[in-house]
Amino acid sequence: MAINAPTTSDAARLAAARREPSRAAQVWRAFARRKVAMAALGVLLLIVLACLLAPWIAPYGPTDGAVTDRLKEVGSPGHPLGTDEQGRDILSRILYGGRLSLLSGVLPVVLAGLIGGGLGVAAGYFGGWTNTIIMRALDIVFSFPAILLAIGISAALGPGIGNIIISATVVFIPPIARIAESATKEVRKEEFIEAAKTSGAGAGLIVRSHVLRNIFGKLFVFATSQIGVCLMVASGLSFLGLGVSPPTPEWGFMLNNLKQLIFVNPIVTIVPGLFIFLTSLSLNLVSDALSDALEIKR
Amino acid sequence: MASFVLKRLALMIPTLLGVSVIVFLMLKIVPGDPVNAIVPPDASESERAAVRAQLGLDKPLVVQYGIWLGRVVQGDLGDSITRRLPVTEMLLPALKNTVILTAAAAVTAFLAALVVGVFSAYYPNSRLAALFNGLSLASIGLPNFWTALILIGIFSVTLGWLPSSGMNTVGSSGAGDLIKHLVLPTAATALSSVGVMTRMVRSTVSGILKQDFIFALQAKGVRRGTILRHVLRNGMPTILNVTGLQFGALLASSVLVETVFSWPGIGQVIYQAIGQRDFPVVQAGVLVVAIAFVLLNLIVDAVHAAMDPRVRQA
Repeated sequence: MAINAPTTSDAARLAAARREPSRAAQVWRAFARRKVAMAALGVLLLIVLACLLAPWIAPYGPTDGAVTDRLKEVGSPGHPLGTDEQGRDILSRILYGGRLSLLSGVLPVVLAGLIGGGLGVAAGYFGGWTNTIIMRALDIVFSFPAILLAIGISAALGPGIGNIIISATVVFIPPIARIAESATKEVRKEEFIEAAKTSGAGAGLIVRSHVLRNIFGKLFVFATSQIGVCLMVASGLSFLGLGVSPPTPEWGFMLNNLKQLIFVNPIVTIVPGLFIFLTSLSLNLVSDALSDALEIKR
Repeated sequence: MASFVLKRLALMIPTLLGVSVIVFLMLKIVPGDPVNAIVPPDASESERAAVRAQLGLDKPLVVQYGIWLGRVVQGDLGDSITRRLPVTEMLLPALKNTVILTAAAAVTAFLAALVVGVFSAYYPNSRLAALFNGLSLASIGLPNFWTALILIGIFSVTLGWLPSSGMNTVGSSGAGDLIKHLVLPTAATALSSVGVMTRMVRSTVSGILKQDFIFALQAKGVRRGTILRHVLRNGMPTILNVTGLQFGALLASSVLVETVFSWPGIGQVIYQAIGQRDFPVVQAGVLVVAIAFVLLNLIVDAVHAAMDPRVRQA
């Protein structure tokens, strides 16, 4: 009888009555409750936006400067963050350089997420020899100390920010693959996977519609926690001169240039590092809070 | 116990081989043909082929790896291009200096983390503990080369208390001078680890304090100092394990701090070799540090198993 069959208007009325927020809204509320994380998110967005808008908001070009203006103090008129050893405005160089620094922090993690995620899912889903070969190979790379591996690969490939991105990607593939593999193995044991296989779904379909959806949360949280680390690795490599070449600005590389002048003007020397630290710290706080927020509704 | 160590040793060999493969591959991905460095640009194909055969570059990759590995195992790591010395001569004294710095940093971080961590575990709701918690969280995001620069800026430039580079001042020698030079690099290196270690100490000690035997000791009327001794003895295996692993990590990331302080360690050697495109040195340096890292992890694991029987059953 029609009494027992739910109609669309019934469902709509029920949902409106309960007013259940979507999952994204729930996660956001859990996140927003932590004030420190919200502050960190604010700082992070501010830095990222400022760097993205650099061509429009920077007071000077990144390479404009005269040597007569070199090493002005922080707070000098016209140069709120001082000038570097060639008279270029540091604030502008921070804004322009931030684009490269942020890129070299985020892109390797994204690439490693795709590659490592793919490898991990394959190893976790197919098991057996596929698993053994992939995971052992990754273990070998993983047993190599991270910074050293990045330095070695960068040194071999030569200077340039592309090579930094490549070596950072290689460094982050094993840990991401591990997370993907263990998450995939867990999901694979679920009954709905077996049901899907029984109904004749192929591996590709199962992975696409079931596995990926279920492991995405863990992978995403882990990847965001690694962005801060990647930023430090990439700026460390730049600091060693393995990244961009002069006169391109980039946070780590600016520290390299300015470090010889620490005896002349210590404060100006330290400014680019401050941005690396703030960005990295905010990223860590945000990703910690995000992982907590996602856990609550799991 | 012996079987545990033997099993770990057996695991170590494929790991070391894997490390050597990676280092070998690093040299192989260098863009450009190494033959070009030796023959003049107008050399004929047969001359190039001759040089290639002489360098062993015409053999399949696996064979090249085998030959290289054979030489490495015998201690021949090649000669430096710029200094024309056998690489091992350059690396070993530098390695010693790096170990001095890293050991000092690990001990400092260990002691600091112990004090702060135990305090935070005993008084978790105090304001000081909250402060330490925040500081240790912040210190994870601190790039060590930046910390190094800040320390130089404060203590060398502004206050003039401590030297900012090198391992000793020309003309003076002895422990006092070494310590003065050691202070800032040690602090910079230790700061990058102390956050992680403090959190580990705190969580370990917190976990121990919740256990029944602590309650029993308190009920028995045992003094707090003695209880602390029990707590520490229980926590030591885990804490030392983390310290050892951090030591390995610090060793491997020594390059950054050493460049700032011009500390004559293996990181500095690698850095200079990169600048001079002296690849045998870069490759050998990376290999030596990676091997030290793997060996150190093995020793740390073995010591941990020796101290804590629960690990051996795994």
